[in-house]
Amino acid sequence: MTRMTSMKDVPREDMLTHGHGACPGCGYAATAKNIAKMLGPNTVVYVPASCLVVFGALYPYSSWKTPYMFTAFENTGAVTTGIKAALRRRHLDATVVGMAGDGGTFDIGLQALSGAAERNEDVIYVCLDNEAFMNTGIQRSSATPFGAWTTTTPVGLEVKGNRRFKKDIARIVADHDVPYVATLSVAHFTDFVRKVQKAKEVRGFRFLHCLTPCIPGWRIEPSKGVSINRLAVDTGMWTLYEVENGVPKVTYKPKAMTPVTEYLKLQGRFKHMSEADVRQLQAWLCAKWRAHYGEEAPSPPCVMPGHEEVLAHDGDPLYGI
Amino acid sequence: MYEIRFHGRGGQGAVMAAQTLADAAVRIGFQAQAFPYFGAERRGAPVEAYARIDTAKIRTKSQVYRPHLVVIMDASLLELEGPASGLRPDGKVVMNVAQRPEELDLGAGVDAECGTVDASSIALETLKMPVVNTAMLGAVAKVWNVVPLDAILEAIEDRFGGKLGRRAGMLNAEAARRAYEATVVGRTQGKREYVQPKRWLPVWDEIPIGVSLRKTAHVEEEVGPATTYQHHTGRWKWSTPLYKKDKCIRCLRCWWSCPDAAIVRQDDDYMRWDLEYCKGCGICADICPVEAIDMLQGARGTWQ
Repeated sequence: MTRMTSMKDVPREDMLTHGHGACPGCGYAATAKNIAKMLGPNTVVYVPASCLVVFGALYPYSSWKTPYMFTAFENTGAVTTGIKAALRRRHLDATVVGMAGDGGTFDIGLQALSGAAERNEDVIYVCLDNEAFMNTGIQRSSATPFGAWTTTTPVGLEVKGNRRFKKDIARIVADHDVPYVATLSVAHFTDFVRKVQKAKEVRGFRFLHCLTPCIPGWRIEPSKGVSINRLAVDTGMWTLYEVENGVPKVTYKPKAMTPVTEYLKLQGRFKHMSEADVRQLQAWLCAKWRAHYGEEAPSPPCVMPGHEEVLAHDGDPLYGI
Repeated sequence: MYEIRFHGRGGQGAVMAAQTLADAAVRIGFQAQAFPYFGAERRGAPVEAYARIDTAKIRTKSQVYRPHLVVIMDASLLELEGPASGLRPDGKVVMNVAQRPEELDLGAGVDAECGTVDASSIALETLKMPVVNTAMLGAVAKVWNVVPLDAILEAIEDRFGGKLGRRAGMLNAEAARRAYEATVVGRTQGKREYVQPKRWLPVWDEIPIGVSLRKTAHVEEEVGPATTYQHHTGRWKWSTPLYKKDKCIRCLRCWWSCPDAAIVRQDDDYMRWDLEYCKGCGICADICPVEAIDMLQGARGTWQ
């Protein structure tokens, strides 16, 4: 097996085959498909309750060519640990990968994830982050960005959409001192291939955090998912970086910062946002930009005085990474 | 008691259509109920929605098995199941299809009054979206005289206007009015036999020890890993990609981004589209740097 460095090297054979029941244009399916394809046939896949269970394996059918297992919502870390232990006991060597959603990672599965990371189990944990509990009908999770509409953060007269900023899960996992943590975006192909390849080679607990657009949950056009992912990186809503043995490194830096409104206007979940809310989100992004890329965000769109008090990061060099 | 069954695909608004029809019936003094039924999939998967209309309080809560009126929102549903099954002898059918009623075949034993309308085109023209529910309600008013058009238009304006804004309400009412004008009424007589495929759901004592389902062939189909190839999800699509090989620069982006693995990378790195599984989302056309892919309206073809 040669090292994969670009899309050209990715094998042709799919491990998540066609005929699954995802919505047209599903970013979740595209990301899972590509990760599974790169990990290859010698893989055991575990999926907790999420869309991936519903569209990828409806008893007695399955889209997976690899061995596949599914149990409850909150134990991706625990079950992948168990699968790896069973394989070790039977002297088999295979990659064990858990693919959880953001709800099953950020909120309900955090303790099992933290346990597996702290024990440095030899598994790959993939978080497919579509920024809410989408499978159950779009409820907010701690991955939901500021201002987004969900069914549990509705647009009311007083409060419009989600009031909290997104939790930085990759940083939480990186603070467990695991060998490899990376953030991915399906629109940045070469970066994606490189990071999955690296995760495949390293032993120990590896965490991949992917941004995956959700057509009904983000209220977007089915064809726009990948373009929106690209915009997410250009506006600073998503940063592509990796943390290898505790050393953080940004792997892709946009040439210029796109105003966040470009990202918001393509998505129905943000269409109610007021001027003040957009300003607040932009200020948060400017602080994030400075923390991640280690430099001031370019003046348009970041010309807001006093954005220091929005997020004080008290000089922590690892802030946000 | 009148019972109505809507057959649609997820995203076409069958649920809203049933609710709006019930709402319109309530406006003219009837009692009504409406509720949907669907599986775990989302957009594009077959959906049923039901409405019951009666002069007295409705105590039945079951699904509708013997409808007076069947509304078929997508012609491709005919290939999957017999949507007109259980239709009463005096029942009526409304269908979203460009053909005339006489040319349709809704299954053996169906001999019914039928209205057809090309609701997809009307919806695309008025709403700019392939959401056909309101247009179908306009056609219902033409074929079925229990709930008049005025009540339906009023219900559409209130429900859709309240949910999506006044302009959307007006546009949806406009779509219904146009569909009412365009509906062709005739008779349809069916000859085809619809056979429900046999489904094998292995129970616990049929599964090997360890409770893992291996790939097994059974009766007419396979179960176990990598068996979803038997689900031809290409029937979900509203638009079809057209690939122009001479423009293609073999950058592989479409192949990479296709959520359904419906794009097959050839040995020479050119692509082929497996339209049996392509859901027509349009990501490939959106992401192509040289515009080698166009999206055509409507579903067509199996391979390209």
